[in-house]
Amino acid sequence: MTSLAASRAMDMDVPAPDQERGRVSVLRVASVRKVYDQLEAIREVTLDVVDGEFVSVLGPSGCGKSTLLMMIAGLVDVTGGGIVINGTPVNGPRREVGVVFQSPVLLPWRTVLQNVMFPVELLRLPQAEYKARALDLLRMAKIDDFVDMLPRQLSGGMRQRTAICRALVHNPSILLMDEPFSALDAITRDEMAIELLRIWQVNRKTVLFVTHSIREAVLLSDRVLVMGRRPATIIEELRVDIPRPRHIGMTEDESFNRMVRHLRRAIETSHAG
Amino acid sequence: MPANLSKHIAAAFWPTLFTVLGLMAWEAAVHVTGMRSIILPPPSEIFAVIVARYDLLLAHLWPSIYLTVLGFLLAVVGGILVAIVITYSEIIRRGFYPVIVVSQVIPKIAIAPLFVVWFGTGTMSSLLLAFLISFFPMTINAAMGFQSVDEDIQRMARTFMGTRWQIFWKIRMPNALPYIFAGMKISITLAIIGVIVAEFVASQEGIGYLIKLAGGLLDTPLMMAAITVLSIAGLALYWIIAVAESRAVYWQAPAEAVGGGG
Repeated sequence: MTSLAASRAMDMDVPAPDQERGRVSVLRVASVRKVYDQLEAIREVTLDVVDGEFVSVLGPSGCGKSTLLMMIAGLVDVTGGGIVINGTPVNGPRREVGVVFQSPVLLPWRTVLQNVMFPVELLRLPQAEYKARALDLLRMAKIDDFVDMLPRQLSGGMRQRTAICRALVHNPSILLMDEPFSALDAITRDEMAIELLRIWQVNRKTVLFVTHSIREAVLLSDRVLVMGRRPATIIEELRVDIPRPRHIGMTEDESFNRMVRHLRRAIETSHAG
Repeated sequence: MPANLSKHIAAAFWPTLFTVLGLMAWEAAVHVTGMRSIILPPPSEIFAVIVARYDLLLAHLWPSIYLTVLGFLLAVVGGILVAIVITYSEIIRRGFYPVIVVSQVIPKIAIAPLFVVWFGTGTMSSLLLAFLISFFPMTINAAMGFQSVDEDIQRMARTFMGTRWQIFWKIRMPNALPYIFAGMKISITLAIIGVIVAEFVASQEGIGYLIKLAGGLLDTPLMMAAITVLSIAGLALYWIIAVAESRAVYWQAPAEAVGGGG
């Protein structure tokens, strides 16, 4: 419980000056291994994410990338190695982490705003202050006209936007996203990627984004890590130097497609091997 | 609201029409065949008895309804409490829960005479039978509601470090509400059966007693009047629960009334 109090105390979100951005390590995963009932899911993963960075973990379905994310979120124990967030080892869910799951996981009896306020209630944060923040986020996600609606009245895209707002409302320093757009149709999916970039541009959270879409990974990220098949390790790392802000038109560019091809080849080689 | 109301009226139209047609056919059949009212009284006669002897009917209806509601409420509270214990105690869940489920094969009606032996012919037997018979569906439904929380929702709450207490009140309880109401709808009808059976077996008052008494006197119109009044009361109790459900479980899309097409 002391670590809980400590993590709550140090959460105050002081934005780092720009020249410091990209230097402070927010997340460090060191030689993490995961074995389920003698089945090796993750062999050895090491990665480092710095403040304000958008990093994608790309890999085929079932390669253990979601497991990795759940371990970082403190929901699944590691078998070996260690995970450190903001200098403190992870041994359970943490206040400074926000998670967006594959499905929106909204509470059907709560309105959009009440869903976004859910973490505020659980973490016992001051309601009035965070309500203003929730409304700001909803406005930014362009769902402020739907704050009093129930999830069943919303489209899939709007539900996932609500889930993103919920993951950000308590001002986490790192946002973990587990294939958040995989349940959406292709058009909504592109739209959501651009929306996410827009929100990210304003908030500049550190993001670890898990996906099986090569295109999505390149479009969103500063850096793409490719995970091979079970037992998983990181087999390739690519820095995406496409300028920001990015837009969907960039997916037509030759440099974009070169990176996509490069990543695809990396994944294919891992399959062959 | 007006749109809602007209929808309800539309949904009620066909069932009402069929009921009225059925009653008219019954009335006509009795008159055409010249059936004696000791065998089958026409609806008009039953209605006349209800009007003429409403004080007698209400005097016997009241204790029955009172015991039904009391037994039902005890079952609701008790069922929810036991369901919570089942949800949080592994030992109870693994040891007691299967026993509850298997005990359902015992026809509880059959133990009504036993209750009379134990608790006498007073209201206690009626109350306990109503409680016992409606307790099990309540418990099983509520337990299912508390336990059937989506895995992803539990995980999501854990990422925000929700405590057991918070997860119970903010997730398990609302999640269980639709199940609890489903249990209540079953329980209320069973509670009525429990009271009536107990009154058949041994009682000096109540609508069950009146039905048995009228049967003994071969007063079929009174018997059917009593059954009618009882049915209306049962319908009213069920309706109250259904209305409460639609208010409490506001997030579920309203179920289309069966046969409500028009």
